[in-house]
Formats: sequence, structure tokens, C-alpha cells
Amino acid sequence: MKYENPQIPEGINTTKEHPLKELLVLLIGSLLVILSITFVVTFGGGWLVDKIPFSIEKKVSNMYDVEKHVDDKRAPELIHYLQGLVDQISEAQDLPEDIKITVHFINSGTVNAFATLGGHVFVFRGLLEKLPNENTLVTLLGHEIAHVKLRHPIKSLSAGIFFSILTSAVTGGTGSDLLGSAGLLGSLKFGRDMEQQSDKEAMVSLQGMYGHLNGGAELFRIFQKMKEESDIDEPVKMFSSHPHDEKRIKNFQVVAKDKGWHETGALTPLPDFFQHSFVARKVN
Amino acid sequence: MYELIITLVLITLGYFFGSRAEKKHYKSIIEREKILNSLPVMASRIPIVKGDYDQILVSGNVVIASDYFKGFVASLRNLFGGRLRTYETLLDRARREAILRMKEQAQELGADIIFNVKYETSNISGQVSSKMSVIEVHAYGTALKKA
Repeated sequence: MKYENPQIPEGINTTKEHPLKELLVLLIGSLLVILSITFVVTFGGGWLVDKIPFSIEKKVSNMYDVEKHVDDKRAPELIHYLQGLVDQISEAQDLPEDIKITVHFINSGTVNAFATLGGHVFVFRGLLEKLPNENTLVTLLGHEIAHVKLRHPIKSLSAGIFFSILTSAVTGGTGSDLLGSAGLLGSLKFGRDMEQQSDKEAMVSLQGMYGHLNGGAELFRIFQKMKEESDIDEPVKMFSSHPHDEKRIKNFQVVAKDKGWHETGALTPLPDFFQHSFVARKVN
Repeated sequence: MYELIITLVLITLGYFFGSRAEKKHYKSIIEREKILNSLPVMASRIPIVKGDYDQILVSGNVVIASDYFKGFVASLRNLFGGRLRTYETLLDRARREAILRMKEQAQELGADIIFNVKYETSNISGQVSSKMSVIEVHAYGTALKKA
């Protein structure tokens, strides 16, 4: 018997295939998977989300202490007024029985307002200060309420969670902070279609409450002016979730013409306390 | 966006440095295997040579790290299944290197043959899956040296 270790040919335990070829095949494969899942989620997810009762959405939002982040208690007069408007708008928009909107005030100079899970609508002081009349305020609230009515927060949240799962699967992350990274109480990003739908609902609220659309387009003029002042060009349409302000203003005319609604009419002034301070007592 | 750029840079760097290191390593492995061919190693548990021999425990130890490119391809492969080719070469290199180091040790001791050769492979990168994988391969056997 002879004892020897012959030279074993290469490429049995390993492969001679170029690793870049494997990368290319895998990248194309995963891209196809992501695209097809995105397709299913976009078209099937919306349908599925509609089946989630609002009470469950409310339960999820109740896990977070909203009160901690808002200044409702410091502006009771304002909250009372806003909640009254919100209830009227809910009626005008024919909100389903189980959806209840709660409005919150945040004492910050940010010019913004947003709607999130569980029917919570947040309005910042910065934006309220810029509003010229109640009609514009109703447009703003109507727009945010429409997001809740059309279930946009939960729709965009499910998409957000889904994409974090997908990216963590590909990048090998643990994905433990899925809900956190999706931003449960942050302002969610809505698609352009969602914004347009909500604009339409805002017009319905205006028509329902005042019988005309006057003052509605003013809201977008405020945003437009702000962008001009801040000297930042309006982002290219592709990259912005909100439709161009110019387009949104025009949309008021289009819808008014289409439905035979008036574009002019008497504007309702805002209550007196809008002239002073929303907050009863400033904290030093 | 920045995360994506950083990932892409890491993958590219991993590919260039990783494949260069691998090529160099394979070249050295094949050369040294030819040289050390005269010292046979076998897995049988019982010494097959008769006569008066000293028995010495010899071992070769290698720690080798994956690169970002290998890890990325492997994580994509995890989605679809199949051979993790990028890791196959990594482990192949580690095992052969461990045997070579064991042989070098035996040769220095003047041994004629190594029997009862075994491998141990372990992952020393810890439990965090996102960490780069680092593996240790340990080969050991009993070298026989004429008394």
C-alpha cells in the first residue's frame, strides 16, 4: 500500500464562476421580487387596509401618549373652537360612524399640519398664525380629516413597515425597530394621489359648510409664498409628494366648474383670539 | 441616500480587495501544497505504518474574515437559496491553509506522515447576524516520526 496525497483538481469544492455574475443575477432577481411585491402591496394593500376596522387603528395609536407631545391644555379656547369645526367638517364629509377625529394644537412655529393614526389631527401654531379666515382653516382641516377618512395614515404606514422589513431582509438588519422607524406618530408621507383626493374632500367640506369654495385656494398660496420667501425652489414634481401648489390652486377652479360650485362668496372671519395669543399663558 | 452610497462603496472596496486577496491566497496555497505533497496526511484513526515511531500532536489554525462583497452576495442568496459560492471559496481557503500550517509544523518536527486528521470550524463573529462573518478553522492530527 502506498500513502500519498495526490494533487486534487481545483473547482470541485468551489466554483469557477465569476462572483460578479452571481451578484448580477441575484440583483436582477431581488429587484424583480421587490417590484412585484410593491405592485401587489400598492394594489392589494389598499384593498386589504380598508378591511382593517378603525377601532384597531385607534388601539394602535392609543399605545402612544399623544398628550405628551401637544399643547392642547394650554389653549383650551382654541381647541374647543377647532374641535367644533372638525365635527362640522366630519359631518360635511360624511365620515363613517366609527371614525372620530381629535384635533391637537402644537405650540411651535413650524408651518405645518398633519393627520396620523387613530384620527388624530395636529395643527402647528406657525400655520394657524398665517391663516386669513375660517374658510381657509376649514380647507386645511378638511384636507387632514380626508386623510383619516380615506385611511391614508394606515395605508402609508403599512407600506412603510413593509419596506423596512424588505430592506432589513436584504441588508441583513435585525428589523427590531420597525414601528419606530416607520414613525407612528410622526408626520407620515402620503402619495401625490392621496393629497389630490384629500384636496377634493376639502372642497366638499367647504361647499357643505359655506356653500362656496372661496378662501380654499388661499391655503396653497400661503405655502407657495412661504417657499418663495425661503428662497428654495419648489422641488421637481417627481420628488415631491404634495402636488405643485400652482396645480392645487387651479384644481379648485376645475372642480368648481365641474360641479357648478361657486368660487366666490362671503368669507367667515376667524375668532378674536386668533389676533392675540393662542396660548393662555406663555411658559418662560 | 448616504447609506446607499456608503453600502455601494463598501461593496466595491470589498470586491476589489477581497478578490485580490483571494487570488493571492489561492496561488500561495497551490504552490505550498505541491511542496508539502511529500508529507501525506490521512483521516484514518489507526496508524497505517508499522515500526517504531514517536507520535506528536500537530495542528494548524487559521482565522479568516469575509469581506463586504461576499456578505452582500450571500445575504441576497439567502432570499433565493442555493449554493453560497462566495463563502465556499472562503471556507475552502481556510481549510486548506489550516492543513498546510499543520503540515509545516510536522515537517519542521521531521515527521513522515500525519494520521487521524480532523477539522474544527467555528464562527467567531458572535451572534449578531449583521456583523461581518469571521471564521476559525483548526486542523489537527497525529504526526509520526521515526524513533
